[in-house]
Amino acid sequence: MRIPLMRCMALLFVLLPAIVALSPAMAQPPLKKASFLPQWIPQAQFAGYFVAKEKGFYRDAGIDLTLVKGGPGNDSFVTLAAGKVTFCTGWLSTAIEKRASGIPLVNLAQIMQRSALLLVATRKSGIRELEDLNDKTLGYWIGEFYVPLSVFLREHYLKVKVIPNYTSITMFTKHAVDAIGAMWYNEYHSILNSGYDPDELTVFRLGDLGVDFPEDGLYCMEATFRADPEMCAAFVQASLRGWLYAFDHREEALDIVMKHAEEANTGTNRAHQGWMLARMKDLILPGPDRASLGKLTPKDYITVGEALKSLYLVDRLPAYQEFYRGEK
Amino acid sequence: MRRWFHDSIVWKMTLLVMGGTSAVFALVVTYNYTYSRNIILQEAEKSARNLTLSTARRIEQEFRAVEHAPAGLARFLEIEGCRDTKTLKKLIRSLVAENPEVFGSGIPFAPGAWKSDVQAFCPYYYRGKGGITYQQIASPTYNYFQQDYYYITKLLNAPVWTEPYYDEGGGNCLMVTYAVPLYRGGTDEGHREFRGAVTADVNLEWLSNLLKSIEVAKTGYCFIVSDAGVFVATPDEPLIMRESLFSLAEERHDPRLRAIGRSMIRRGSGFEDIGSALTEQGAFLAYARIPSTGWSLGGVFPKAELLAEITALHVRTMLLAAVGIILLLIVSVLVARSLARPLVRMAEATGKVAKGDLDIDLSDIHRTDEVGQLADGFTRMVEGLKQRDFIRDTFGRYLTKEVVRRLLESKDGLKLGGEAREITLMMSDLRGFTALTSHMAPEQVITFLNRYLASMVEILLDRMGVIDEIIGDGILAFFGAPDPLEDHAARAVACALKMQAAMEEINELNEADGLAHLEMGVAVHTGTVVVGNIGSERRSKYGAVGSDVNFTGRVESFTVGGQVLISEATYERVSNLVEIKNVIHVEMKGVPGKVTLYEVIGIGHPFNVRLPERDDTPRPLKESLLVRVDRLEQKVVGDSRLEASLTHASLTTAILLVRGEIAQWENLRLRVAAIEHEEDYGEIYAKVTAMEDKGDIHEAEVRFTSMSPQVYRLIRHAAGGP
Repeated sequence: MRIPLMRCMALLFVLLPAIVALSPAMAQPPLKKASFLPQWIPQAQFAGYFVAKEKGFYRDAGIDLTLVKGGPGNDSFVTLAAGKVTFCTGWLSTAIEKRASGIPLVNLAQIMQRSALLLVATRKSGIRELEDLNDKTLGYWIGEFYVPLSVFLREHYLKVKVIPNYTSITMFTKHAVDAIGAMWYNEYHSILNSGYDPDELTVFRLGDLGVDFPEDGLYCMEATFRADPEMCAAFVQASLRGWLYAFDHREEALDIVMKHAEEANTGTNRAHQGWMLARMKDLILPGPDRASLGKLTPKDYITVGEALKSLYLVDRLPAYQEFYRGEK
Repeated sequence: MRRWFHDSIVWKMTLLVMGGTSAVFALVVTYNYTYSRNIILQEAEKSARNLTLSTARRIEQEFRAVEHAPAGLARFLEIEGCRDTKTLKKLIRSLVAENPEVFGSGIPFAPGAWKSDVQAFCPYYYRGKGGITYQQIASPTYNYFQQDYYYITKLLNAPVWTEPYYDEGGGNCLMVTYAVPLYRGGTDEGHREFRGAVTADVNLEWLSNLLKSIEVAKTGYCFIVSDAGVFVATPDEPLIMRESLFSLAEERHDPRLRAIGRSMIRRGSGFEDIGSALTEQGAFLAYARIPSTGWSLGGVFPKAELLAEITALHVRTMLLAAVGIILLLIVSVLVARSLARPLVRMAEATGKVAKGDLDIDLSDIHRTDEVGQLADGFTRMVEGLKQRDFIRDTFGRYLTKEVVRRLLESKDGLKLGGEAREITLMMSDLRGFTALTSHMAPEQVITFLNRYLASMVEILLDRMGVIDEIIGDGILAFFGAPDPLEDHAARAVACALKMQAAMEEINELNEADGLAHLEMGVAVHTGTVVVGNIGSERRSKYGAVGSDVNFTGRVESFTVGGQVLISEATYERVSNLVEIKNVIHVEMKGVPGKVTLYEVIGIGHPFNVRLPERDDTPRPLKESLLVRVDRLEQKVVGDSRLEASLTHASLTTAILLVRGEIAQWENLRLRVAAIEHEEDYGEIYAKVTAMEDKGDIHEAEVRFTSMSPQVYRLIRHAAGGP
């Protein structure tokens, strides 16, 4: 009995701004202008925001939102810190690091609740167990992605020769490395769709092996939040509404995602985006209920923060209340 | 349908013939189709494999040709060395210029490899719009160190064909790059140092053009996928670089397509039935690998087209078969009908025969085959039946239906031989008839006799009497054989009474026709006789033999007109049923002692026959009639003539005063003298039933057996009748 009630309440809460906005009795306040930058190229990783924009959820929430095209060369936190956008998405670990280093950004919502990081090798290469990774080459992205991998390698006492990966899965398919870091929702599917069947692959899921760092969250500068916390909350709610709508209307959401992908000429295909959207649901709504939707728990915050401290990436962990300004 | 099928030989034959023929046709056509299809498919597979292999080889040659140029330049640079930018650029430019298949070429140097103070240097020539154009690719926004042609080459330490990619630098086209590592320090792997790569770009437009020029049947096509299954070239351009065989498989939920994709990128070459995985209709896929890039060339051959000719042939064959079957249908219907028509006729005829109608004419069935023989046989059988019917009809006049049936139906019916059986015999005779006929015209005799016999026979047969014999006016019949009858005695008595009663009607008719008044006597006797078919094979009858038959005749001879006499034996069996008028005791030739006979006038339930009361008492006549008396010996008028006077008379009895000798039971002929001279012969036949001697004159009581019409009228008048 609890769950349906909770769901109803959550839904009501999500829909409330829309109902309020549509109410003719209320005087229509002018839309607030805001901009939003996803941290990577247009793909289903950001389906919720594209859908919310397309379906007018932001407008319903009183926001005239501009979508800024993300991708390589447009680091979302850098752009945010530079004051070029109002909102952005980004990794929790990176955000904590930034906040600790003095950039006053705040987390408005923790969208992805779990880590999507995998290490993938062909079974043919002989890698079956974690130990088999020792002294093997691992293609892996540079930068922020490195944080959870470092923690993982340390936790499992692995000595892996990490080769920077600039090129998606080519180094893996061309057999230039023994294993490769892959996002469950992205590169892993690319590997499957380059002709590898799952049973031909050995997959290590970092989330299942002790390093389950929540990834994408919604951020704005603290000043923005202080100036208009209502708008920030409205933005988050509209975004979550977009996600729920996307999960419930797969094909429509994919149409919208594909439109953005085509515009950006990312050379993707619908099957890939369909997979990605499905995995987003797994990562955003991992549990049986929606109570945790968009929330950052102190536990996750401490876990990631302590890991950063242990890697000497941060000296002092910012207070949870200062960092997280979303629903608790 | 079932009934209809089972009821008609025409349709049964036709459908069976059709079914059989169609099955054979279907078998032959299917075999033919399968066999020729296999041949064609084998041929098609061979040519499809050849086509894809040769095309793949051609593309491979092209790539190999491309490989030579950068490999050569790298080797040259490693051996000769080059520190001069101008010379280097010249070398790269000439590589592009001299190799038409090369779209562009460059040397991405490792950091500090060209000049120790230069971090990034990548001279590049490509075929621009205005001819071969130079570009230094390294820029703050373009990090070539991360590009596959540099990075993967470095990682693999070997020449590499990159994944195909859209170049947005100079060419803005789909291309693939071959990169050869450039070393310093010789060929020894341990000491050499990676200095960069020599690259050659291939514009993949030619590939699409090449594929377009290959004719794969009419609607087939070729495509190329990369070693990751991504479409590199295909007529369906939106797929290029976007979709792979695997993404299509996923999108279409088609695991088969995924399997095809895996075969294509893993195996050398192959030929598969891919169903509708890549085309709307079924198709075959022949594929061959392009070894240099690891790509795979696929040729899609629509089945419909490969099999177009065989399908057309098949369609024609089927049409011919259909026409043939229709013709066959017509022929078999005709044949079946010609066979069935006489059969139907015969079936109808059989139905008629079954109903008893033997007027069958099958003469129009002119055939000599089995059907004709059947018709002949049938006709003969009907003839036989007709004869048999004729026999039965003829017999039936004198025999009960039971006897006839028994004779006809029983196998032993016509066997000669018999059995001893207790039956009741009945004999009747017209009194004085034989003598009477001598005065009658033959036609009159026949009319008279027929009228009499028709009536009697009918009565007999109605009561299940079997007529043993009819001789003239005499009838011998019996009851209780061949079918045993429990009540044969009673039946016989009832029958006799009925016959006697019927005489009245006959006499009325006779009187109207001016014929003589006749009286009949009937005797009934029960005894054990032999019954059976008596005679020879050629002529036999079902009759009775034995002394009791003769005895019956004797009894009969004691009857007078209108009388039914039964023997003691019969009486014993019917005593509780019959009404006796008189019991007489007579002496009989060959029978010792007196024989008791009973005159029956009625029989009770269930027969209920009673003779009408007759006033037999003779009354005195006003004037006695003078008659001449002839004593009849053996029913023939004798010589001795007596005169007598008839003093008393009733319609049946008279008192006669005779001068002369007469005896009891003697048969007499009386001629009335008064009308003797007239046309009417004036005769009376009578039997002496009692005698009383009064001196010379005998007073005799006589019973009339027959008399001429005039006499009858006279007596009736005299006796006080109308």
